[in-house]
Amino acid sequence: MRATELVRLALSRLGSSRLRAALTMLGVIIGVASVVSLVAVGQGATSGITKQLQGLGTNLLTVNPGATTTGFTRGAAGSANTLTIEDAQAIAALDGVAAVEPEISTSQFVVAGTENTTTSIIGTTSGYTTVRNFDVWQGATLNQAAVDARLHEAVLGATTADDLGLTASSIGSTITIGGLPFRVVGILQAKGSTGPVSQDDQILVPYTTVQDEFVPGDKLRTIGISVASAGQIDTVKAEITTLLETRHDIAIGGTDDFTIADQAQLLTTVGGVSDLLTLLLAGIASISLLVGGIGIMNIMLVSVRERTREIGIRKAVGARGRDILAQFLVEALVLSVLGGIFGIILGVAVSYLIGSLAGWGFVFSPVTPLVAVLFSLLVGVVFGVWPARQAARLDPIVALRYE
Amino acid sequence: MSGALIELHDVSRIYDLGHVQVAALQGVDLEVEEGEFLAIVGPSGSGKSTMMNILGCLDRPTGGTYSLAGTPIAELDDDGLARLRSRTIGFVFQSYNLLPRTSALENVATPLLYQGVSRKDRLARAQVALERLGLGDRISHIPTELSGGQQQRVAIARALVTEPALLLADEPTGNLDSASGAEVMTLLTQLNAAGRTIVMITHDAEVASRARRQVHVRDGRLVA
Repeated sequence: MRATELVRLALSRLGSSRLRAALTMLGVIIGVASVVSLVAVGQGATSGITKQLQGLGTNLLTVNPGATTTGFTRGAAGSANTLTIEDAQAIAALDGVAAVEPEISTSQFVVAGTENTTTSIIGTTSGYTTVRNFDVWQGATLNQAAVDARLHEAVLGATTADDLGLTASSIGSTITIGGLPFRVVGILQAKGSTGPVSQDDQILVPYTTVQDEFVPGDKLRTIGISVASAGQIDTVKAEITTLLETRHDIAIGGTDDFTIADQAQLLTTVGGVSDLLTLLLAGIASISLLVGGIGIMNIMLVSVRERTREIGIRKAVGARGRDILAQFLVEALVLSVLGGIFGIILGVAVSYLIGSLAGWGFVFSPVTPLVAVLFSLLVGVVFGVWPARQAARLDPIVALRYE
Repeated sequence: MSGALIELHDVSRIYDLGHVQVAALQGVDLEVEEGEFLAIVGPSGSGKSTMMNILGCLDRPTGGTYSLAGTPIAELDDDGLARLRSRTIGFVFQSYNLLPRTSALENVATPLLYQGVSRKDRLARAQVALERLGLGDRISHIPTELSGGQQQRVAIARALVTEPALLLADEPTGNLDSASGAEVMTLLTQLNAAGRTIVMITHDAEVASRARRQVHVRDGRLVA
């Protein structure tokens, strides 16, 4: 028999008991929908996190001071106050380094008109917006002239500007930071939060000014480096290590007084974890698909029993065992595949809803529905074959006499 | 093709019930020529249902040989039997055995499905078969919407739609009132007059008398 005949037969049969068909399909619908939506949730979360991490800076390396060792006692990371602006300048001269920015930070009370806030003040250079991947929304970013002249100029993060009631027209106005007047030269584009600390709640000022007014000395908290291309990250990292070891007189095999953090490493780790999570979610969801498949098998077995006489009639008028097998198998397949299709529609709708509520947008990978349909097809075959074989093996004489 | 349409030689059918063997048929010899109208008559338990199953290729003899339309059925596997049924035999049952919730037209078209006839041709041929039996206005009715006599005529249309060499009728009037029964018997007589070979199984001597030849079954054996 041709496939179209079998599908027509199955559809007309299922059409004559719609409620039962719908309820049987429901198991597969729920199974497939949960696989599709949970995988989408996993992928959405992954891409959301990845996007935010990439937002921290492209090919970003950060050098932080390491731990001090006093005698035999090792202090906390960052306690060694060893990084200097000369280190930053030396790093800038290395091959493969696109931009470098030094950072000194402090927390200060800030007043603008009647509004006030307390926020972190980053003393840095014009390189900051490049390395940290910020766009300027209004005005300009810090420039080298301001750093050299130690000017009281400030570039505000989007949240800080908002908190202080500053808008596009506030460029050029004066605010006070730690009691000192600063001129607002720019406001940055908002980036969204990365974890608990918002990158949008900060004020950039020339590092020289911070050294003058708030944090005396020439030590840096961090040096941010943008590597020219992703492929050069490891090389540049090694170059920086060698350079700083030389500059800080650290013997070969000695303990470094700095650490270099690598954005790519973080991305790989996070990606690995969330891939595992996605797989786990899909695994749990596929259990419900399995249950749906058992539902189909159950109904098909009942159906074979109920239609014993029909099977006898069909055999008497010339149906072979394989015709009966095909008829019942295709019925199970139509149930599971229709269920799969409805399940995909439902699953896509649910993942769209979750995606827009969670704010990572709608992630749709065409692979998921494809896999879901193939899987439901497999469910149909696996759970349809046994009932269909039962039907095909019926003795026509017994089947015809069956009441 | 040599010989008769149906050739049974020393056919027996023994049911093995484990501890005991029951012979439903023993040493049956029977020939049916093309164009005959034969009644196989016997009381219940005589083995006539077993005769019907064997003649209809639904069952195999445990002994002896059976050839239908020149084909020895011992040489056929289950698929081969199904093919032979499909091409050579049209069944009419006592209880009609129409597919439930299925229109008269689809019911009649079903045997053609298993011959691989296209849907368009199937429905056209089923329509013709139904019209020939005076059911042209009932083609979209489902079995429960038809009277017993009408259902049996649908079943006969289904048996005839493949133009089988043999029409095998098992108590065709058993479930019908006398008027409908007479109608069905008249129909069978007309079909035979038009050249159709018919083998009818019945316990009813009056019904059997409409056939041109009768054989009697008693205790699994043919008696004069």
